[in-house]
Amino acid sequence: MTEEPVIRIDNVSKSFLSEEKPVAVLENVSFNVGKEFLCIVGPSGCGKSTLLRMIDGLDRPSQGNVYFHGKPVEGPTPMMGMVFQTFALIPWKTVLENVEMGLAWMKITEEDRLRRSEKFIQDVGLDGFEASYPKELSGGMKQRVGIARALALEPEVLLMDEPFSSLDALTAEGLRKEVLEIWSNPQFSTNSVIMVTHNVQEAVGMADTVIVMSPRPGKVIDNVRIEMDRPRDQRDPRFYDYVDRIISKIS
Amino acid sequence: MDLALALQLNAVDPLNPINLPYFAARSLLRLTLAFGLSLGFALAYGIAAAMSRRASHVLLPVLDVLQSVPVLGFLPAVFIFVLTRVPGEGGQELASIILIFTAMVWAMTFAVITGINQIPNDIKEASKAYGITRSRYLRQVVLPAIYPELIWGCILAWGGAWYFIPVEEYATFGMTQVQLKGLGFFIAQAAAESRLDSAIIGLVAMVLVIIAINRIVWRPLVARTEKYRYEATGGQRGFHARHGKLRSSLLKYEGRIANPIVTFFKYEKTNLSSFLETVPRVHVPPKVRERLARIFLVTRVIVIIGFLGLMVLVIFFLENSPIPTLQAALNQIQSFQPIKGCTGCLSGFPLLAYSTASSLLRLLAAYLIALGWTLLAGIAIARRQKLAKALIPIFDIGQSIPATALFPIVTLLILSRISSPMGIQLASIVLLLTGMQWYLLFNIIGAIHNIPNDISESTSAYGVSGKRFIREILIPASFPAIISGSMQAWGGGWNATIVSEYIVTGQQQVQQVAGLGAVLVNANNAGSAGTVVIATAIIIMTLTILIINRLVWHRLMKRADRYKFES
Repeated sequence: MTEEPVIRIDNVSKSFLSEEKPVAVLENVSFNVGKEFLCIVGPSGCGKSTLLRMIDGLDRPSQGNVYFHGKPVEGPTPMMGMVFQTFALIPWKTVLENVEMGLAWMKITEEDRLRRSEKFIQDVGLDGFEASYPKELSGGMKQRVGIARALALEPEVLLMDEPFSSLDALTAEGLRKEVLEIWSNPQFSTNSVIMVTHNVQEAVGMADTVIVMSPRPGKVIDNVRIEMDRPRDQRDPRFYDYVDRIISKIS
Repeated sequence: MDLALALQLNAVDPLNPINLPYFAARSLLRLTLAFGLSLGFALAYGIAAAMSRRASHVLLPVLDVLQSVPVLGFLPAVFIFVLTRVPGEGGQELASIILIFTAMVWAMTFAVITGINQIPNDIKEASKAYGITRSRYLRQVVLPAIYPELIWGCILAWGGAWYFIPVEEYATFGMTQVQLKGLGFFIAQAAAESRLDSAIIGLVAMVLVIIAINRIVWRPLVARTEKYRYEATGGQRGFHARHGKLRSSLLKYEGRIANPIVTFFKYEKTNLSSFLETVPRVHVPPKVRERLARIFLVTRVIVIIGFLGLMVLVIFFLENSPIPTLQAALNQIQSFQPIKGCTGCLSGFPLLAYSTASSLLRLLAAYLIALGWTLLAGIAIARRQKLAKALIPIFDIGQSIPATALFPIVTLLILSRISSPMGIQLASIVLLLTGMQWYLLFNIIGAIHNIPNDISESTSAYGVSGKRFIREILIPASFPAIISGSMQAWGGGWNATIVSEYIVTGQQQVQQVAGLGAVLVNANNAGSAGTVVIATAIIIMTLTILIINRLVWHRLMKRADRYKFES
């Protein structure tokens, strides 16, 4: 009897109705997520974002199921935090209010809520911006708010949907490093990170496991363990072997 | 049935439903003729203004002034001028077509100009680089660019024109009674004879004609507009298609006020200043722009006041009356009474003040009711997509009913249950409601539809649901739409006061409530003896709207910026 993984994706298929005709987006997708940093890569339209939304319970599979500690996911829970590609911050809420957004879910006092939000705002380096509104922030800072909002739940699973693809290259590189630093901090309570990306270098640079998906309808075509210590050197030949292996699968 | 028999029936009882096809054809013919004139004018004027920069220096300000003059201001002048020159039914038809033309033409002209201004610079440069001749440029670049905007402009124009049909087919001016065969006449005549069933049949016929024209003429033309749009990305196309229906409903209703009588009341911003914002090649610093907008606004108010004064003079001239001195004008206002020879009734300026306050209170009541139900409907629709599918077509039909045609029926219905003073008050509020609610409703639904997908996903991912979702997301997200919808609703409401405070029902009995609209109608009925009062009442209405906009809506509008999503 194998131990139940944190997330188990069991034969999931998904189709949408487009002009009355069903279009298959995902077909028989199965894989497990343990206590690790996992990246899902694939060309655009392969259903990887849909898959991430089904893990969070924002969407339902047409067939199959997603299990969280052996129980089917039925809707969003505070045990998972989600980071969005387009940040998805509420424009009329301050940074602090945005970060607090998910905390009302938990039965904690207002004081705790405030303390926790402020701690995570500090952790992502936004000290002093608590009262700012999202439109006053740069793209990189907005995504820090998005990350702080997810981390403030102290979630068991952190879900990230192309979190760096709306940022310019330099900002993205910096933020990637910071996310990895937070991840490697032993105090960090999150067991698993699932990140969707179409950037293969990014996946190889960050993940323990890379799930490679085919174009629509998305299927799992490879499951790659990246056996390299962090921080990883992009000029390491092994790094390139992994990148080449994944790119050859996709194209 | 042969024509002779049909005409005989006409004479016996004009309200026989058998006459409806004929009446519908008469109304449609009038609209079509006016539409043809408008289209010709719009294309010629619009292309001239947009293609030649030198011509635009004159044509644009002139257009701006012309379209901001309330139709009611020159309605009496047009009637007197045409009716004295061309007597009989021919003159009445001509006057009516001219008035429909003025209701249609401005929306269409601005559509042509907007269309031409939307041609991207690279297309213009490419045409120059490849040496395209002027006539080919007109055919292959300009006309296709005009097409989508013009179709929307035409839809607006027809919406506005239908609003006027009941007014101009059954109007009184002084001694002259205008009665033109048509659907509007049918409804008004039925109301005057207290025949509720006939009035409802007439209204149903009118709504069916409006819907049929939308389906048969405009919908296929709208479907083709996508082809001619300069679109930024392919992804937007799907969004447009999905929201096309909503957009068309919104725009159609906009049409109700995108006509001269109301445009002024709706936007304080002049077309000239909004035009400046759309011209890409001229860079105007925001400060200068603000100052210009203020200058335009003041000029416009002065022009309107001047125009109204001029109209008063024209009417006196046409009627060969002595030109009134300022003293005579003041006397006319002071002796003006809605009911002749009434002792103890208010007259003059106290009457005008009391009427303004009464109209304001009724508008406020109607506004609060409208805001309440449309907000609830918007929230309900936001939470259940299926509800939207079922309700939007119903709202679409509801908003296509011209309030001018609805008023007689609502009044008859209410008066048959509730006796006169209370009944007519209630009928008036209901009518104002129909003139206000759709702006709010479609603005709110539009705003809720436009909540970005990632925001709704993030709220459910972070457990913001139920009451918290309504309070923290839905209401703030619709706040800007509520404010702009409110401004439009009050504009539409003021417009509706003119047709909702005075009505002739059974046995030529006048039913009226105190209000600026009633003052306008009474003054209009008084012929040249009422022209100064008309001008004064329009100025009071305009100033009231300006003051309310300044004190209330502009302040709220500034606050609303915070609640807008970044694009």
